[in-house]
Amino acid sequence: MIVPMARVRILGTRASLPNVIRALQDTGVVHLVPQPAIRELTAFRLPALESRRRRQLVRILEDSEAALAGLGDSNGRIPRSAAPDCVRWARLAGRARRQLARLDCRAQTLEEERALLARYHGVFEILERLLRAREATAAATAFHVVLRADQTDAVPRLRTALGELIGEAFETVTERLPGGETVMLLLVPAAAAERVERLLADTRVEEVSAPRGYGASPVEAGPRMRERERAIPGELEAIRRERAELGRRCRGELTRARAALRDQVAQLDTLSLAGVTPHAFVLEGWVPEAAEHRLVRAIEAAFGRDVVVETLAREDWRGEEAPVVLHNPRLFRPFELLTRMLPLPRYGTIDPTPYVGVFFPMFFGLILGDAGYGVLLALLALVLHRRSRPGTTLRAAAEIGGPCALFAIVFGVLFGEYFGDLGRAWLHLEPVWFDRGEAIVPFLGLTLALGTVHILLGLILGVVTSARRHPRHAAGRGLSAAMLILIVAAILAALDLVPRGLLTPAVILLFVAFPVLVILEGVVAPVELLTTIGHVLSYARIMALGTASVMLAVVANRMAGALGSAVIGVLFALLFHLVNFGLALFTPTIHALRLHYVEFFGTFYSPGGVRYQPLGHWTPPVAHPA
Amino acid sequence: MSVALIAIAAALAVGIPALATAWAQSRIGPAAAASLAEKPELSTTAIILLAIPETMVILGFVVAVLIMLRGAA
Repeated sequence: MIVPMARVRILGTRASLPNVIRALQDTGVVHLVPQPAIRELTAFRLPALESRRRRQLVRILEDSEAALAGLGDSNGRIPRSAAPDCVRWARLAGRARRQLARLDCRAQTLEEERALLARYHGVFEILERLLRAREATAAATAFHVVLRADQTDAVPRLRTALGELIGEAFETVTERLPGGETVMLLLVPAAAAERVERLLADTRVEEVSAPRGYGASPVEAGPRMRERERAIPGELEAIRRERAELGRRCRGELTRARAALRDQVAQLDTLSLAGVTPHAFVLEGWVPEAAEHRLVRAIEAAFGRDVVVETLAREDWRGEEAPVVLHNPRLFRPFELLTRMLPLPRYGTIDPTPYVGVFFPMFFGLILGDAGYGVLLALLALVLHRRSRPGTTLRAAAEIGGPCALFAIVFGVLFGEYFGDLGRAWLHLEPVWFDRGEAIVPFLGLTLALGTVHILLGLILGVVTSARRHPRHAAGRGLSAAMLILIVAAILAALDLVPRGLLTPAVILLFVAFPVLVILEGVVAPVELLTTIGHVLSYARIMALGTASVMLAVVANRMAGALGSAVIGVLFALLFHLVNFGLALFTPTIHALRLHYVEFFGTFYSPGGVRYQPLGHWTPPVAHPA
Repeated sequence: MSVALIAIAAALAVGIPALATAWAQSRIGPAAAASLAEKPELSTTAIILLAIPETMVILGFVVAVLIMLRGAA
């Protein structure tokens, strides 16, 4: 249901306005709205000093949040600071942010160096070994070359070109890397070095040099690179420790600072919602009726007669403006998750959550309709429930999964389905009601009957919703519902499922009702009536998807005996059942949701409600709020 | 009526709406994905829009089943 709201007006001396806002923040129940335009009142303008203070607070807040994003938030309740100390917080947040940036920069440099060394490690190890083995003299110049895996034919070509250039006065040694590249050490006389260098450039053979700072030759660079490779993990560990120590020192204080700063910024922002005269202020807002007395008592206790809270009469405000809070019994509360996926219903209309709580699991169970899959779903919901925290989307999904599993088990028993026809084949468990795989027409009739009931319920809710404000529209909805009943009665009579004598009166009444409907709802009435009938027919999807689900399960069971080998057959059957179970979770959810959002809600739902956002103390958002 | 004609009629009853559904979803899918990239909060609307054309193939399936049952009778 939608919680009844009261519109309150708070009046007091202008000097007490900041304190009143602080008190309202402490109560955390008033959803404040901009002051309506009244000639005697002007909008409150934040003084220049306060504007500057707000900018400073926002800057400290940004530093705190950036630092906390790097350090990781502390879990649990936030202790409130008795005395906000903005100067200390500014210093702490700025220092922590700068220190974190420095540590991040250092860690990134080390990671890059480590990656670079890892890339050169193999090449320089080989070059160093080759050079040490050759004992190059001062008269010889060494070229260090790496050839890509697709350049291996370059070695003989290079040797030929070198022979033509400098004769036999050179030596090449090659070794292949695990990645397919070839490392080549080329030794030439120092006098021929310049010509060889040009040749390498012409043949597009790339020389490799040691990273900067490690020395010119591989003999010199190799040991230094190995030493750095050994040292880097230690340096990274030291950075991690320094970061952890910084977190331990600052996290708690920064968390408190962030909460207090957010509260102060919210207080300053709220000031602009007040209307003021030179000596007084007025604030208006919404409060749940149940919390109204608490608000009045809190303001009285804090300000005595200086501040007055008055409740506006219901005639003085429009329902569309009131914010919406959904509050349902414990059993239906998880289904608010499904209602909240659409824009909130407007205040004064109907919260569809309880109806979703009944029909969604029913449709889900009717489509799945298998006791075996139902038990699996129940186990999955149980695991999700245990692994999720209260108030999260995951917990709500687990709590929705429970009733869905229950309905799937119940319908599974009624239809005699236990992992398809496995229960019947092994345990001789026959359907209590009917077999969905065989009795397709009765199943179709059942789903259409269910659709008729659901749509009729929606039309009745539509009448209730619009009866007060749009009586003509409500009458049209009511007449549509009556005509739907007459159409169903006429069809049933024509099929001899009810006494045939009902056919003529039903048709006559339809002919009488039709022009009345056109008068009430206009020329679109016939289209809307056809749409309503189409919506009822749309419930045939429950039959279609249910039949497809049972057929897939039966096919999975047939696989066990159809593939020659029993082991492979059973494995395939299990795999197919797993796929079918995955589909069985997804398909019924989507289609049950669609039947609600499009067919059911379309008859009465009025979206566009304003979310209730009372002024209160800031709390960190839950990871996945429900 | 011959079994072949009944089978062809049932196949057409489910096949043509299936093609129509596929075509509609092929147009809705990319548009929904593009919208979701900019406004993730539209996910519910996207799912609903994608599920709407499925009515065609589902009703086609129902008609196909009825054709086959009528043929068998």
